[in-house]
Amino acid sequence: MMKRRTIKDRPTVQPRVLAMIAYRNLLQKRLRTLLTVSGIAIGIGSVYFLLSFGIGLQRLVANQVIGNQSIRTIDVKPTNSSIIKLDDIAVQRISEVPDVKEIGKIYYFPGSFKLNNSETDSIVYGIDKGYEQLTYLNLIKGELLKDTAVKNPIVMNKAALEAIGLGKDPSIVIGKSIDITVPLPKIQSQSKVYQRSMQIVGVIDSGSGAEIFIPSTEFRQLGVPALTQLKVGVDSVETVSKARAQIESIGLETSSPVDTLNEINKVFNYLNLILIGFGGIGMLIAILGMFNTLTISLLERTKEIGLMVALGARSVDMKRLFIFEALFLSLVGATLGIVGAVGLGWLINIVMNMLAAGRGVKDGFQLFAHPYQLVFGVIGFMVIVGLLVVVLPARRAQKISPIDALRRE
Amino acid sequence: MPTKPMLFTAKNLALSFTTGDQEVQAVRSCNVTVPEHAITVIFGASGSGKSSLLNVVSGLQKPTSGSLLYRGVDVYEQSLNELAYFRAHELGIVYQTNYWVKSLTVLDNVAMPLYFQGQSQAEAHRRAHEALSAVNMGQFATKYPALLSGGEQQRVAVARAIVADPPVIIADEPTGSLDSTNGDAIIALLQKLRDDHGKTIVLVTHNMEYLHIANHLLEVQDGTVTQIEEAQIPRTVKKMLGDAQTRITKLMEEHTT
Repeated sequence: MMKRRTIKDRPTVQPRVLAMIAYRNLLQKRLRTLLTVSGIAIGIGSVYFLLSFGIGLQRLVANQVIGNQSIRTIDVKPTNSSIIKLDDIAVQRISEVPDVKEIGKIYYFPGSFKLNNSETDSIVYGIDKGYEQLTYLNLIKGELLKDTAVKNPIVMNKAALEAIGLGKDPSIVIGKSIDITVPLPKIQSQSKVYQRSMQIVGVIDSGSGAEIFIPSTEFRQLGVPALTQLKVGVDSVETVSKARAQIESIGLETSSPVDTLNEINKVFNYLNLILIGFGGIGMLIAILGMFNTLTISLLERTKEIGLMVALGARSVDMKRLFIFEALFLSLVGATLGIVGAVGLGWLINIVMNMLAAGRGVKDGFQLFAHPYQLVFGVIGFMVIVGLLVVVLPARRAQKISPIDALRRE
Repeated sequence: MPTKPMLFTAKNLALSFTTGDQEVQAVRSCNVTVPEHAITVIFGASGSGKSSLLNVVSGLQKPTSGSLLYRGVDVYEQSLNELAYFRAHELGIVYQTNYWVKSLTVLDNVAMPLYFQGQSQAEAHRRAHEALSAVNMGQFATKYPALLSGGEQQRVAVARAIVADPPVIIADEPTGSLDSTNGDAIIALLQKLRDDHGKTIVLVTHNMEYLHIANHLLEVQDGTVTQIEEAQIPRTVKKMLGDAQTRITKLMEEHTT
């Protein structure tokens, strides 16, 4: 008796063998395969290129906007109507909030300074070591307040120097004396003006308006009752929102660079969608090309498929054969497209950096980003598209009758 | 002479097609057998229904009525996958026209039945080399089949039919597109497979020259299958040849007058 076997214990064609047959078939029609792969590469490459540009630009903008602010920080201010002030009690309560690691104290008032007989308005910040640690101050000359041993030190930004015509060479002001004047808010119903001669210890490159920084103790010793703002550092980005809620429950107002970042991300998410739309047109053409190739391949090989079924192939093996061909086209096309897009992006980035350097931009920048999620996401997307495109030809391959196929001429 | 065991048994087997409004009886109800380890020749004129009968025997065409038993099991009671298994393991097929997967070499084309059994490429290649050597075509392994001559292609087709060592070889007009030398060589190969390897051969032909190798004869005329036992074959062949000779003589007389 003939041994009967069920579908489960019936061995099917080994994947390696199917891959070999699929590969040989694609290789036989070299030009068609090349054109199809090129179509996919261009389609997927343009999607990748535009997305990589979108994400790169998003990072660049976020970096410029967030700049020296750590996104693990929260800015705390009193609300306009609040009776809660940023005094020692408030600072103590905030320091007790879990996840809060560090607190930077800030006073700031409009004031003015006089240097080399030039006088200009400026924002005068009174900051402590905590603030300096939580904020990246881009020091270009000298030293920061937390690192200096000088008595009555002051750090100013480049914009303040530019306001008095000394922006070209910041090093010449280090060690020089500067006169500060700050009209303070009423203290115990009395108006006070802070006036002091100080020594410049450092120049930073941040902010577009004139800003000068002195130790917060200067204002505190004068009896200024409450801080203007606090900068609170937390454990991680994930704990920002929780810590903010707890600080707000005290009756204070909070903001965070995360808010700005979210806004930027929102805008760029829309931009990316538009870019995907543009790239999608190329992608659509590539998909149609792939469908066309697989369908023609099916029609040309009807007899071959009939032969294979007559020789004992399961119809599901014929379906798998077409799936392998689609996967091959998708993977090779997607890989080539991504490699091409990365190369093109690299080239454009070099040219843009050279152009920017020619216009005085000192820091290099990256216009294109290549996060691994994007690379694998785009490849995965193309594989899924390939599997969807092959559904119809594969189903038709599965239904081919060997007798009809072998009778065809 | 001992009776050979029956490998195939057709019971009231019939096959009909509908073309347009007409129903064509390709195979009329028949009860025939195919003995094991023997050459069964299905003989008939073109369009008589022999290829239709062969398609049924090959597990490719379900009969309209009746049944086909293989070693006692109803072939068409099986699922499509079981039928594929049956074709891959029990049958080796040689066609009149050479069908190939054009993108594959001779070696891979010969190895195909083994691939469909789930064997690895290395093992399939090893056995395909053996099969090619058995038909003296070993040196053509890396060539593409479409580039070979008709005779060479048919030898490769025989290698493909025997590569999985199936018990049954089905040959559908294997000499149809060959000259007599190459045709005789293929017939000799089939005889060798029966004599040396105990294969069961089902040979479809319309060429009377090869009737003498039959152990069993199925004559097909307009869909009617007549089974002729081995002892009766010489007489039947003699009668057929006589009839053919009479027809030829008559035609020649008509031509000369």
